[in-house]
This record gives sequence, C-alpha cells and structure tokens, in this order.
Amino acid sequence: MSDDGGWLNNYVNSLPERGWFKFLSKYVVVPYWVWREPKPKLPGGPRPSSQPSDNVQRMMNLLMPLKDTSPIGRAKAVMALAQNVDEIFAGLDNVGTVHSARFLLVEDYICMISVYDGDFSNYIRDFIATIGSVFDDLMHLVEGGEALYPCEDHVEEFIDWVKAHDLFQAPDYAINLLHVQDEAAGRSPDAPPHELLSLPRELILQLHSNRNISLGGGYRGYPGYSAAQVRDKLGVGW
Amino acid sequence: MNAAFNPEELQGNILRGYRSNMVRHLMLEVSDRAKARQFLAASADGTSSEIPAITRSANWKEKPKLCFNIGVTFEGLRALGTASRDLDSFPLEYAEGMAKRAVKLGDFGESAPEHWPAPFDQPDRIHIIASLYSDEEQYLDQTEAQVAKAFTVLGVRNGRNLPDNKVFFGYVDSISQPRFRHVFDPAQIKVDEPKDPLGTVLLGHPTHFEGMLFSIPQPDVLGRNGAFNAFRVLQQDAKGFEDYLDKAATQLLDHPKGDLLLAPEDEKRVGKDLDRHGALREVVAAQMCGRWRNGVPYELSPDAQYPEKEVSPTNYSYTRTSRCPAGAHMRRVNPRGGPIVQRVANYSRRLVRRGMSYGPDFDPENRDGAERGLLGNFIGANYGAQFEAVVCDWLNFGLQDPEITGTNDPLLGANVPETSAFELTLKDGGRIRLNGFPRFVKTRGGAYTFLPSLPAIRYLAQISD
Ligand code: HEM
Repeated sequence: MSDDGGWLNNYVNSLPERGWFKFLSKYVVVPYWVWREPKPKLPGGPRPSSQPSDNVQRMMNLLMPLKDTSPIGRAKAVMALAQNVDEIFAGLDNVGTVHSARFLLVEDYICMISVYDGDFSNYIRDFIATIGSVFDDLMHLVEGGEALYPCEDHVEEFIDWVKAHDLFQAPDYAINLLHVQDEAAGRSPDAPPHELLSLPRELILQLHSNRNISLGGGYRGYPGYSAAQVRDKLGVGW
Repeated sequence: MNAAFNPEELQGNILRGYRSNMVRHLMLEVSDRAKARQFLAASADGTSSEIPAITRSANWKEKPKLCFNIGVTFEGLRALGTASRDLDSFPLEYAEGMAKRAVKLGDFGESAPEHWPAPFDQPDRIHIIASLYSDEEQYLDQTEAQVAKAFTVLGVRNGRNLPDNKVFFGYVDSISQPRFRHVFDPAQIKVDEPKDPLGTVLLGHPTHFEGMLFSIPQPDVLGRNGAFNAFRVLQQDAKGFEDYLDKAATQLLDHPKGDLLLAPEDEKRVGKDLDRHGALREVVAAQMCGRWRNGVPYELSPDAQYPEKEVSPTNYSYTRTSRCPAGAHMRRVNPRGGPIVQRVANYSRRLVRRGMSYGPDFDPENRDGAERGLLGNFIGANYGAQFEAVVCDWLNFGLQDPEITGTNDPLLGANVPETSAFELTLKDGGRIRLNGFPRFVKTRGGAYTFLPSLPAIRYLAQISD
C-alpha cells in the first residue's frame, strides 16, 4: 500500500526478517498449520494430460535415499552404478523413448535425472525388462529397496516406488498448485474458489509433505518432439 | 489336464471365446453379503438348479445352452469382505477403477465418466459384472431372474453378434487373438503367429519378458490364475464414419496422386459392383483398420479386397516399407514384429478381446444416428503393461513410430477434427494425409474387473465378517 502508514507498516513489513518472528513461525505457527490443515504428499512426475505436447520430453527427477549416508555408503552406491553404467545406458537405448539420463550423488541421495516420452510406467517397465538384474545392486543400498529385490519380480512395486520417489512437479503456473491440492484431497478444483493470497501459505504447507520439488516442467529447446522424431530427422535411426 | 494349470479351475471366457449369438452383461451390487456369498459358492459348485454354474475353461463336447461368468471390481472385493491387507495387494489401476483412469484412457470430453449413463455414473456401486452368453433369449431371461434374487441389478447391457461376424463400421472382427502355449484352440489351427506365454493373461505364469513376473494379489488362492478385464461400452458413430468415407473418397477422386493409392485397373478387385468413389471409400476404410472390411489383411493384399490367390488372415508382420499404415488401428494395437520405437515391447502388450455389438442394425444406404456400438472386453494379466500401455501410448498418441507420433487411432482414437490426421500409404512409398475427421467412438461406460479362478470364487464365498 503506502509508506505513510508510518512505523507500524514498516514494522509489519520487516517482520519476516526479525529473529523472534522467524522463530515463532518456524516452531509454532507452521507446525500448527500443518497440524490443522495437513497436505497429503503429492505424487511424483508429470500429471496425465491429453495434450500430445505434454506427453513428450517428460522429466523424471528420481531421488533415491541412501541407507548408509557415510562416505563409505555413498561410495558404494556410486560403485554399484559405475560398474553397470554401460548396461544401463544400453538398456535406456532399447527403451527407445529416452532423450537423456544421468545419475547424480547429491547429499544423501542417488539421483536419476531423465527426460522421456510417453507414459511413466511404460518407461520404467520397459527399462526393467531390458536391463534385468542390473539395478538390483543399487536396490540393496537404498531405503525400501529390499522389498523390491529382485526388480524383475516386483515390477509393479518398483514402478510405484519410483513414482513415490520421483519429485513432485509444481505446476508451471503457481496458482494451479491449489487445483492440484484440491484434486489430491478429492475436492473439485476451485470450488469454492481460492484466494490468491493463500498461495504462499499453501506452498509452505505443501513443502512440509514434499520437501523437495521440481519447479515447473522446465525448459525445452525443441518442444513437442519425441526422441524418435529427433533421431528420425537427424537420420540416425530410431 | 496339463502341468501348467487345470482348465477346470479357470473361468471359460479367458482362454477361449464362446462364439454365442447373444450376451447380457448385468451390473450388480452386493446389497446382502450373505446372499451374495451363498450365490458365489453355489455358482462355483455348479450343482444347484436355481443358481447358474460358472462356465469353466473345459473343452466341452456339447456347448452349454448358457455360459455364465463373473468379474469383480475392487469395490466388489471390498463389499464381499476381503481384508484390507489383501485389497492392498491388488494393483493400483484396478484399485482406482476405470473412471479414475479417464485421462490415460482417452475418456475426456463427451467420453468423460461424468457423462456416462447409469449404472456407470456410480462406479463405486458396481461390484460384480455377470456376463451371460447364449444363442436363445429365454436362457438369458431365466438366468437374469436367478441372479436378481441374490444381487441388486443396477443395469443391463445386451449385445449380439452381427451377421458374418461383423462389427459396426462394417468390418469382420474376431480374427486375431493371442495364441497361448499349453492351450489348444481349434479356431487357431492355421495361425502361425508367435505363441504367447500364459502369463500374458493368467496371473502366476511366465510372461513375455524372461524372468519378469506380475505380482499375484494375495492371498494366493484369490489371485492365482485370475485375469484382469477392461470392460468398455464403446459407442460407434456408424453414420459419422460412413459420411466421412464419402468425404474422403470425394477428395481423393481429384487428388493428383490418387492413382498411386488405387490404380484404375484395381478398382474391380476392391469390389465388383463399385465405382471409383465406392472403391476409394473401401481403400480408406481398409487402411484405417489394417484389414479390408471383409477381413483380408491390408498388409498381404494392398491392391485387392478380393485377391485372386487366398491370403492368410493372420500370418504376417510389418516392415519399414509396409503398405499397412503405421497409423492403422490394428498395427497400432499390435505392431507384431514390425519396427517400433520401444524395441523391447514387440509382442509384449497383448490383449485377449471378447466383444459383441449392441444397438439396432445399421443400414449404410439409409444412415441413422441411433446409439450402437461395441461391448468390449480387453483381458490381460496387467492393466499397466497391456491395456493401458496400448491405449495411452500407441492407440492414442502414436509414440511407437515417429511418423505417427502426436496422432490418434483413426477408427477409435480421441480425435477432434481440428487436429486429427491419418496418412494413407501409396504404391511409390509416398503418403496422402487425411485431416478433419471427428472421433467416431465414444466411451459410454465400463469397469475394471478381476476374473477370479474357481478356487478364488470359493474363497470369496467363504470369507466371514
Ligand atoms: C468400437 C471400437 C473398436 C472397433 C470397431 C475395433 C475394430 C477392430 C477390427 C475390425 C479389428 C480386426 C479384426 C481382427 O483382427 O480380429 C480389430 C483388431 C484388434 N483390435 Fe480393435 N476395435 C475396437 C476397439 C479396440 C480397442 C479399444 C482395443 C484395445 C485397446 C482394440 C484392440 C484390438 C487388437 C489387439 C486387435 C488385433 C490386432 C492384431 O492382432 O493384429 N480394439 N479391431
């Protein structure tokens, strides 16, 4: 509004920077909100869409929590992948719908970041079907992995697990977050309509359930094309 | 008997079709658990004269007057008292049910579950779908009355075989089916396609992918030897389809490359009594489906609906230079051994199809817009790996071939005239692109059901609260 509200306005505006206020929000206000309005954890990966352009170049940001986060444990995970990387890449090639994929070690997670076309479960299923047991070594090292071992005999569980560890992708337009939350809670979107002002609060609450998220769908240099269409145009075969 | 399974313990409509003339699907609610369980027990037993016996997968000598099978929805398992621990062991797609999978299945716009008529407007109330097959209506009526004593009948859908094994849109159907190891099916003696492992359709058996198994829902007796079914009520706009063939043929009459699509000397091989316009209509219909309307595979006979030399109705594959368009219905839903982007997926997304038509006869000479279509059952061991995989990435969207990616099945995809596209193949390898066609098939209901084995039905019958 205006500056002429004097000291009170200035004081209120400066609240977010004040130590006592930060303390109060962090330890009292937010926990109270979360208790009063719990947000279910939103599912990972892109949402289903009927738009062809939404069904190519979909992002997977898979965060696999390591059981042993000591340098030794982290090194083991790196080794489990490094030893098999050729087979894994050959498998991705056979899946046919993958634009790119890479592995990262970030904090306590082994991450697989990839861009793929089409349905998520088809991608993961075809991947497991081709690489077979290669991923199993890694499964011993990540939380919840034993239940999925061997992956080939637990394809459905493996797909569900990957989906649960794929980052939630916040909608490109922030306001749509409210609709996604409505849907997750079984309400019809925007009935009753939301106040735009409530967005920051809803985001804070959501970040309680989804600690890490992907910000929007990301940038694409050649939107709308599948990996095979690109290969086809380049004449490298698909 | 054989080592892999006991056919006496399977529901009969999974491995073989009955080829009856009529079907009646009853959408049932379990309103009285005790009565429902009693019914299921007697039905699995098959000794009561008051309760229809579940038809088994036996090679009978004389076909029964009535065949009777059931599918149970996830809500149905719950209504019958299945423990929540066991419910949790069923796959997500099934637990959510067909209506919640709408976007993936192309059920939006007019096909959205919000527009489905009763009883499909209340999917959670549909617990069991009982399917009655017979050649005579009296047996259907009699059995329906017996079923109605134990369940609330929420709705009924009647289907029938059209003459000459045709479906609306005029094609001969029920030609291609998966062929299973360990199963003898006299209808498939001349088929020489690769055999599919039993785990394609039955839970607990090897699948197409070596070493890969689909989980068996628990307890084992409930899940093993069961199958999952996608029941679909698919309305076919027969008038819209024939009108579109007129329009497309008219455009093709003046197309500079029209002769490469249909050489004038081949017109009579498409149909003795057809003029060029009529023959072009048939070529478009044939390329859209992958078969001429009389059933002859387009791939084996691209110039003639009536080839001089007989061609196999089933034994062929596709190549990079196939005349059967990559976008044709059949090639989308089963690319056979042909080139596809998902190289590992050839022959893996197989579906057993059992369907019959519903609604009044259609006269192409005197076209009306009455509601008619197909009551389709698409059966497999895993929705995600088969039915949904086919529908969301291949039938719609066309991810399997860069030439068709972004387009939908011309016969039944979720098309809108503004964006629809289908490429006809020409003799010289060229293409003619067709645009502007609408969606010819709309979804009017359906459900995901589990087809339990006989031991599983007995298990469900004896659960106590
Ligand atoms: C009203 C809707 C539909 C119509 C009119 C229709 C029509 C046809 C026709 C005429 C054939 C060729 C006959 C044969 O080979 O047996 C066929 C084959 C087939 N259809 Fe459909 N169909 C419909 C819906 C579907 C759906 C929804 C699916 C799957 C999701 C499907 C999957 C198949 C398969 C797998 C084949 C066999 C292809 C092969 O093995 O080469 N159909 N369909």
